[in-house]
Amino acid sequence: MTDIPLSARPRSRSVAHRILAGAWATTEMKVAFFIFAALAVLTVVAPFVIDASATKITVADRFLPPIFMEGGRYPYLLGTDQLGRDLLLRSLIGLRNAFAIGIVSVVIMFVIGCAIGIYSGYRGGWVDVVLMRITDVQMSIPVVILAITILGMSRPNAFTVIAVLVLASWPAYARVARSVTLAERQKEYVRAAKILGASDLRIMALHIAPSILPSIAFVAVLDIARMMIFEAIFGFIGIGIQPPTPTFGTIISAGTQYLLNAWWITIVPGFLLALALTSLNLMGGVLERSRNLVLQGQL
Amino acid sequence: MATEPIMRVESLSVVLDSAAGSRPILSDVSFDVAPRSVLGIIGESGSGKTVLSNALINWIHKPLRLTSGRVLYQGRDLLALPEQAMANLRGREIAYIGANPTIALDPTIPVGHQIVEKLKEVEPGISEADARKRVVDTLDAVRIPSAVRRFDEYPFQFSGGMMQRAMIVDALVSNPKLLIADNITQPLDVTVAAQIIRLLRDLQSAFETSIVFISSSLGVVTDTADDVIVINAGRIVERQPAARITAAPEHAYTRDLIAKVPRLWAEAETPEPSPGSDIVLEVRDVERTYVVRDRARLFGENQVRAVRGVSFDVRRGESFGLIGESGCGKSTLSRLLSSIEQPDKGSIKVEGRDIAGLKGTPLLAMRRRFQLLLQDPYNAIPAHASIGRTIEEPLRIHGLARGAALKQRVRDVMTEVGLSPDLYDNLPVGLSAGQRQRINIARALILEPSLMILDETLSALDQVEQARLLALFEALQKRHGITYLYISHDLAMVRRVCARIGVMYLGRIVELADNHTIFETPAHPYTRTLLSSVLTVEPKPFLPETYLMEGEPPDPIHIPDGCTFRTRCPFASARCATEEPHLVATAEGNGAACHLEPGHLPPPSLPPAPAGRAAACLET
Amino acid sequence: MAFAIEFFIRRLSQGLLIVLLVAFVIFTLLRIAPGDPIRIILGPMATATAMEETARELGLRDPIPVQFGRFIVQVASGDFGHSFIRGKQGGASGGSQDGAPDLSQRASVMDLILTALPYTLILASLGLIFAFLIAIPIGLAAGLNAGRWQQKLGLYISSFFVSLPNIWVGVVLIYLLSAKSGLLPAIGYRGIAYAIIPAIVMAIEMSPILIRAIAVSIAANVQEGYFNVGQVRGIPRSKMIYRHVVRNAAVPLLNVFSAQMIGMLLGGLFVVEYIFSFPGIGLLTINAVFQRDFPIIQAVAILASAVLVLINILVDFASTTIDRRLKF
Repeated sequence: MTDIPLSARPRSRSVAHRILAGAWATTEMKVAFFIFAALAVLTVVAPFVIDASATKITVADRFLPPIFMEGGRYPYLLGTDQLGRDLLLRSLIGLRNAFAIGIVSVVIMFVIGCAIGIYSGYRGGWVDVVLMRITDVQMSIPVVILAITILGMSRPNAFTVIAVLVLASWPAYARVARSVTLAERQKEYVRAAKILGASDLRIMALHIAPSILPSIAFVAVLDIARMMIFEAIFGFIGIGIQPPTPTFGTIISAGTQYLLNAWWITIVPGFLLALALTSLNLMGGVLERSRNLVLQGQL
Repeated sequence: MATEPIMRVESLSVVLDSAAGSRPILSDVSFDVAPRSVLGIIGESGSGKTVLSNALINWIHKPLRLTSGRVLYQGRDLLALPEQAMANLRGREIAYIGANPTIALDPTIPVGHQIVEKLKEVEPGISEADARKRVVDTLDAVRIPSAVRRFDEYPFQFSGGMMQRAMIVDALVSNPKLLIADNITQPLDVTVAAQIIRLLRDLQSAFETSIVFISSSLGVVTDTADDVIVINAGRIVERQPAARITAAPEHAYTRDLIAKVPRLWAEAETPEPSPGSDIVLEVRDVERTYVVRDRARLFGENQVRAVRGVSFDVRRGESFGLIGESGCGKSTLSRLLSSIEQPDKGSIKVEGRDIAGLKGTPLLAMRRRFQLLLQDPYNAIPAHASIGRTIEEPLRIHGLARGAALKQRVRDVMTEVGLSPDLYDNLPVGLSAGQRQRINIARALILEPSLMILDETLSALDQVEQARLLALFEALQKRHGITYLYISHDLAMVRRVCARIGVMYLGRIVELADNHTIFETPAHPYTRTLLSSVLTVEPKPFLPETYLMEGEPPDPIHIPDGCTFRTRCPFASARCATEEPHLVATAEGNGAACHLEPGHLPPPSLPPAPAGRAAACLET
Repeated sequence: MAFAIEFFIRRLSQGLLIVLLVAFVIFTLLRIAPGDPIRIILGPMATATAMEETARELGLRDPIPVQFGRFIVQVASGDFGHSFIRGKQGGASGGSQDGAPDLSQRASVMDLILTALPYTLILASLGLIFAFLIAIPIGLAAGLNAGRWQQKLGLYISSFFVSLPNIWVGVVLIYLLSAKSGLLPAIGYRGIAYAIIPAIVMAIEMSPILIRAIAVSIAANVQEGYFNVGQVRGIPRSKMIYRHVVRNAAVPLLNVFSAQMIGMLLGGLFVVEYIFSFPGIGLLTINAVFQRDFPIIQAVAILASAVLVLINILVDFASTTIDRRLKF
């Protein structure tokens, strides 16, 4: 109800730049970024610095608690598991693997889902009806049922895990991209491009996609974390990447048997994973909030 | 004045806080509102008038801040009142109506129910039945047809005008002593706005309410108010009785404001029809119907007949105008003419070639011949591409140039439309609406079209910018022989630039004639209704008393039999209900779709004195 | 009224088609996936001829469309067939046991599901209740106080909860609340107390989405014109919130509920039941997967998607009833 003159708002930088700047201005963004960056550096550096092994079985060093507890000793900073392997290194490798799977699967589902969604929303008509009914079907199968059916019946590895995650989650991207496209194709600049004679493909690829994809990409950051959790769940049930490759699911699952005597085998790696995911999710959340503020003209 | 004012504003100041510091929005504003009077406040956009209207009900929020002043209502300073006491006054004794009625109510609850909710809130103890009766009665009083049925309809089923009437009901139902009306006619069509203003005057005397009437249109304010305050950049520059403000303005700013109001009749310079017979655009019997689902019937569908048989010709080098109110089918027609949609029936020939039904490469080739400029300069240009890249796009699409030649052509066309070629690599952020519209023009012009369709192209711009672009269009027309088709609701602009004009109503052209005939001696009653509704500061040949009836255009689903305008026509006869009139052109190419013989309409009259109702009031 | 009838005719027929397609996809998937169920039914010692005979007897050698048609006719009469492995008395037969398999002794899939269903319903409703108890106050506070600390709190809590893998939360809670302190029982089911820890795990998984959805839709409606105008019209802020804002916010919330929450609830049930050996549908299904017990898997998948589709339809109907502008 107040008319603040347009000139009062700075309009000089690009939208993406303002979103990033707005997010970086917050403390939580900086904290989350440094935690995440530290963990990332650690996964690369730790194997060269710590004189222990993530895979070598050392019977003498079984069930060692973290170094800050009684009985803990160097180099096992976070203790060892039931086979005497170093938990910190196992967790870091698990984190790296999970993150790789998360990133790759989200990129693939983002590309497939958005391409189909933009096409469906832009074309409309029967193409749209058929594609959306397919996503209906896909979304009516709970992810975990789909995963345990496919992975439980095949020989799971990184590729099949990614395939299942993509298969289960692309429809969500298609839905979002479609609904944004539906709104976008009503906009004047799309009409202007049509009047100039631009082909449908050109409009979708050069006009609509650059306008809508950045905002969906911010949401995709949150999905990386979600995919990492799925990867852990698959490992826990025994349908993820198979041992001896360390994954959070298998570490936690194996540790449950020794929960009363050696709780750290389960709790410590899970804590590291939760820390990494919280920082990732916090960054995603701050970015999304910053984006809303920018789009509302408040930043 | 002998009586105590109902509201007194004393040296009110408001600032806008931002990172860059505080900027004054209102400075030292003081005035009185006399009981049972209408005080008009006029100011351009950005003058601070909306902030002022909000301050009158103590509704100033961050980043705005009150720095000084008092708003006295019945001796109490509203700005110093505890929030609870102020909340008790709002909506009860002091009512407020805003500029945008379509967002004013909860979209999920029927309109009548929400007014009852408010009434029960401000009058605790009123029974449900009484409240309902009072609301229905007031809906009747603002001439909402079939009020009992409308009571249970949802906001989205109301047109903008009907919704504004409902908001007036909402404000008046509690018998407030003071009504603050902030730009309430701004989003409405001319005939609807004229109806609302007439209504407000009638209600003001019936309800004995004082009104503070705020508007950016001088014609609206002088037509409505007893006294007028002119506000500029947060300061009051002049206060005068409404009749005197146009006749004898004292302040230079006021004089400037009056000079800026476009005249339709007083100083009309109009273009002559083009003598050539070469026809660039030939539209014949074009129809377009949309099918929408009907919730009330099982598998029900309704047909929205948006365009129902439109025919006209546009000759080379001429400017042709299509005018009409919202819902008349001009937007649909613009989509058909720009070949974004195909007509169900009829033909659209551009330079002799029918583009209806044309697809693929032939259509692409034709697109170079006709271009359409859109209304919204902000959304018509992609935000993520540089200005040069945006103007290049048509050349790339049509494969007309590449490399250095392409850049050179873009620079040339930028210069031609008045954009500095230095802006080539800039993003469009921060450009004014006028500059953005120039990008738009450059992008169309680079294809060297022979026909440009201007669909409300200038309506988002202020008067000054509009005049500059019109001059640009004229220059381009002279240089390249471009033909223009203006689609607009702005009668003053069409009056200035279009040689021939078609008037649309409910999907049809009801009158088609040259500029002079349309504005001086129109043959169709609707054209006269439209002209009578224009709020201007000059004497009008057509008066609302004669031509403006109550009621809004029927919706294009339920089109009346016979003549579609008969439901609002003061001259309708029995024949009009059964037989649909057709547009028959005379030898000069003029014609109207009406059964009346030309001599049967009242002769154009000029009112005796350049005065609104206010002058008449002073005399009595 | 006409609208409601047309709505349900259209949507139920579409929904039926979707469930049929899901059924076909799952059915086909199970039959082309590696792992021969006959080997599991008969055990490692069975001869090739015996296996072939059993396969034919079970109809597993017919073309897939034929098998599917037969299956659908069966399902239409409420019969989801018999488990390959589980006996009528509960325990698993086949595999390690010797002796010829007697199919008539196998448990009916419908019976197995109906036995497990009440446990799953208890867990699901308890989980939903906990999730709403967490999410409503936090989400409301965040939505009504955009830009203030309440909104940040909402962001922190939802970012934290959404980062906790449910498997890990489950194990941690078992350790803290059950194994270490003995406050609550955890593994298996012998009374409603056994459902509390699993329900908390599910609530932690579901609440972030709810918190965000509530906060976003409330905040969006507080920004709407009618909220400000309503107060200027004379209706107190509190009444504007609980009569209008909550009502309008319900539409996107219902959408989130049907699009994300129900799927997440179903998925969560599987994992949580597996962690806690909770004898519901999820545990039944996961065991069925490891045992290649096709009839159970396909029945659960079909029923789960039917439930999803049905809830979707009901939610959309509720949305169009609240907001009459919506189309379907």
